[in-house]
Amino acid sequence: MSLVERLVDELKPLGGKPAEFKRMISVTIDSEHIVEAVKNAKTAGFEMISDIFGIDYLNYPQHQGKRFSVAYNLYSISANERIFIRVNINEGEVLPTITHLWNGASFMEREVYDMFGIEFDGHPDLRKLITPEDLDGHPHRKDFPIGETPTLFNEGRFIDPAAFRSGLTGQDAGLSGHQGGMRKGYRTDANEEA
Amino acid sequence: MTVKKPSDFGAEVTAEQVMTQPGVTVTDMPSASEFETKLMRLNVGPQHPSTHGVLRVVVDLDGETVKRIVPQIGYLHTGFEKTMEHRTYQQGVTYSNRMDYLHGFGHDLAYVLSVEKLLDANVPVRAQQVRVILNELNRIASHLVFFGTGILDMGALTLFFYTMREREQILDLFEMVCGVRMNYGYFRVGGLSRDIPEGFTDAVRQFITGFPKMVDQYVGLFAKNDIFVNRTKGVGVLSRETALDYGLTGPSLRASGVGLDFRKAQPYSGYENYDFDVPTSDKGDVHARFMMRIEELAESLKIIEQALDALEPGPVKDPDRRISLPPRQELETSMEAVIFHFKLATEGFHPPRGEVYVPTESARGELGYYLVSDGGSMPYRVKVRVPSLINLQSLEPACIDGVFADMVANIASLDPVMGDVDK
Repeated sequence: MSLVERLVDELKPLGGKPAEFKRMISVTIDSEHIVEAVKNAKTAGFEMISDIFGIDYLNYPQHQGKRFSVAYNLYSISANERIFIRVNINEGEVLPTITHLWNGASFMEREVYDMFGIEFDGHPDLRKLITPEDLDGHPHRKDFPIGETPTLFNEGRFIDPAAFRSGLTGQDAGLSGHQGGMRKGYRTDANEEA
Repeated sequence: MTVKKPSDFGAEVTAEQVMTQPGVTVTDMPSASEFETKLMRLNVGPQHPSTHGVLRVVVDLDGETVKRIVPQIGYLHTGFEKTMEHRTYQQGVTYSNRMDYLHGFGHDLAYVLSVEKLLDANVPVRAQQVRVILNELNRIASHLVFFGTGILDMGALTLFFYTMREREQILDLFEMVCGVRMNYGYFRVGGLSRDIPEGFTDAVRQFITGFPKMVDQYVGLFAKNDIFVNRTKGVGVLSRETALDYGLTGPSLRASGVGLDFRKAQPYSGYENYDFDVPTSDKGDVHARFMMRIEELAESLKIIEQALDALEPGPVKDPDRRISLPPRQELETSMEAVIFHFKLATEGFHPPRGEVYVPTESARGELGYYLVSDGGSMPYRVKVRVPSLINLQSLEPACIDGVFADMVANIASLDPVMGDVDK
């Protein structure tokens, strides 16, 4: 019995729902049990936290349930196995920090906060990690526009790229300064059940 | 729970706190209130030659001793992940190599492996071998920059010219293959964009026969240099436990005694067919981190040599028409080929729904692309597990209670590439 299988059994009393795709195993946990679950994984032999990241399922076709998913990517060096422990949360919900288990989780949680606005309770130094201080919003949310989007900074500075460029070049700004959201992925219904 | 502003580095330390710190003995000094003592807050970077690009660190100094260190990053944030979510899968290779500009093939490889896992693509053996050769050459080139700039930070100028000389030869090889020296974009989902040119293997062989002599030259230039040894031995020691606690990976982790290398642990792209060692050291200091990379150069050469020997003529693309473009000649005779070409060029392929992650070993550590597919022609979510960002956290345990000059050596030894940190 492999380490991952043992851990999956161990997490079942906590409400862990395992899933497998292409030999990658993930366990979904309720947010109140996440620290316990990660702690169990650490004592079971997953000695390294590889990553923590968020996913915003806002535009995901036929998605049911909560909007965000936060995944903890744990790796066991001795057993050479990997598991993803996931929690689903809605906007405004707060997750407990796991920085007391691994100091290395600090940047990862800060990145999730920066990109998705998910706050971590108990984090010793919860600040934005990557984006500038005066940028409003969380860029990896699906409702954050991409492209030549006019940007409003919270000190009141407002930059419209097309107007900005035309100010530099003296040329006409044209009709469209906004392309965000115009490119959309094509979807086929053939593999929706997959 | 409190969310702080990014520019909030915490309160400055007062005189009483300094005087009552462990290790500070106050004997004949006047009391703290009379004697004006406080930690000096110093800003280093973001534009400083020793910070490897645009890394900014805020340090609190007690005299020369570093008491607190806060890395401040994001100056090179480009939003690659978000951009890749709005491009087709095949277009993703344009962005992946721009993150880690010193080991671009590593990022390319990690990205295409994830997409190929999603698609269950069959990559021909020749394509896998060429990928390994280029990846390892790029690893050597990346380590060469590491040595050159790392030693430069410590004040030795000469080695930089020597390592750049050999890196130049490697970049010439890349230019032969894909026409550019950086930002390659040569790998495709399902194989390579085109076969390697004639004479490439001979040029690589010529390079790898001459290269070990050059490595000896580097070792003579710095590894036995007293100044270098004294500045790096016992400096910035990261124990095995600390390294794992802070999520360190790659050569820096192997210098701390953990023999984790994903080329061995979870082989990809045919690494299981090559015979090579994973050098480790249990010292964990800056010196060990430098030496680890010297030893890795030889291992990379071994892999390249074996891959060159195994290289046989053959296809370099997945024959599946839903993934790879049809050959140019076929477009003139076959309507079907034109249709496939049109579909691939305009909207690309549609992987099934699912989420995949393939860990790889870049020159800096564990690198992997977590891809979420919603069945569309563009990835729904791209999350890159970049090694530099996570490794940068180890700066704190390495630098605390060391002298300020050692901080520069520590930054160099962790080998952060800011494009890789900020994404």
